[in-house]
Amino acid sequence: MSHLLTPSQTVGPYFHDALLGCDAFISAEAPGQRVRIVGTVVDGAGEGVPDAMIEAWQGNCFSRVGTGAGGIFEFTTIHPSSAPTDRTTAAPRIDLVIFARGLLNHLVTRIYFPDEHSNERDPVLRLVPPARRATLIAQRGPSHADAREATYRFDIVLQGGDETVFFDVR
Amino acid sequence: MTTTIGEIVRGDAAVFPPYLYDAYRATILRAPLLPMVEVPLSIVDRQGPGAAWFPVQPIDADLTRNAGMGGEALGQRIILTGRLLDADGRPVPDALVEVWQANAAGRYIHKNDQWPGPLDPNFLGLGRCRTDANGAYRFLTVRPGAYPWKNHENAWRPAHVHFSVLGRMWSERMITQMYFADDPMLSLDPIYNAVPEAARARLVAAYAHDVTESQWALGWRWDIVIAGSTSTPFEERGNA
Repeated sequence: MSHLLTPSQTVGPYFHDALLGCDAFISAEAPGQRVRIVGTVVDGAGEGVPDAMIEAWQGNCFSRVGTGAGGIFEFTTIHPSSAPTDRTTAAPRIDLVIFARGLLNHLVTRIYFPDEHSNERDPVLRLVPPARRATLIAQRGPSHADAREATYRFDIVLQGGDETVFFDVR
Repeated sequence: MTTTIGEIVRGDAAVFPPYLYDAYRATILRAPLLPMVEVPLSIVDRQGPGAAWFPVQPIDADLTRNAGMGGEALGQRIILTGRLLDADGRPVPDALVEVWQANAAGRYIHKNDQWPGPLDPNFLGLGRCRTDANGAYRFLTVRPGAYPWKNHENAWRPAHVHFSVLGRMWSERMITQMYFADDPMLSLDPIYNAVPEAARARLVAAYAHDVTESQWALGWRWDIVIAGSTSTPFEERGNA
């Protein structure tokens, strides 16, 4: 018997106290290079979205952060190339789930990394029209004083000509 | 007034709301307008960190007392329970269920909620629990009030409880809102109405006398069905 799926609804404006109480989680035993992701969530008018929540899902790591003034967010995780998966064709990436007031359903996207030859054969990235793939590739930030940490920039454009690619996984 | 309904939907368009539903004004500049890229579930990683590492205490599921002030929240005490199931009807155990809601007067403790409804020092409006082996969750709380918002003239949200469900992996992720049966505000609410009509009732909890506890609290039952990773046999397809 097939059960009928429950529809989604917006996270609304008042989720912070309920959902952001836990710090970002990185498995204590996860080895590898620390990577800091910074970015901005912007709407169709180019304005920052200050009340979004972003979840990063990745192997054994999970982070949940809210955007602040100007739509800026930041989280730290382990570079996914440090965590090999069973999928040899897949490129290193971080799955993102995005919630906000005004989003009646969450959005799903991915962060890929520049200078990864495996991007060319990644089975999900290959489904993306070539002209839009750049929206999924993070940009390397300024080198960090601490060589064990790298910074990347990844902006999320909810609407417009340079709209970020969002996925519908079925 | 007609409502513009966008064509971009993630998931089954008979179930999930479109991103653009302009009667809910916040969607107008936040809805993606370009086609989504469809990805077969079979080529994405099915592993995830799961929710087991989230700390959950029994008191977290008692919203009438978890403010920790020593008193009890004001309002109609209710027991809110149900099961988390996958699309094949199988229970989803060990998922994290997080809820947040306005108090009995319709006021959130959130700093951005500034309408002149009274706050209750004994009510935070936040709760969490983990689903048990049968996929069941259970909260003790008070029935939330309706509250005004600024979407349109004299706009009020129907009483609702926000639910966040975090399972084993991101494709099971879900955030939604639960409403109460027979609420006259429902048909006026653009957020509720954004859901395709045939699926709206799935957001509405039913009064459950078998859950009601004598001399104590009224019972409401609401099951949540998510697209679960156990429902589809995993197939390795390799390079797509």
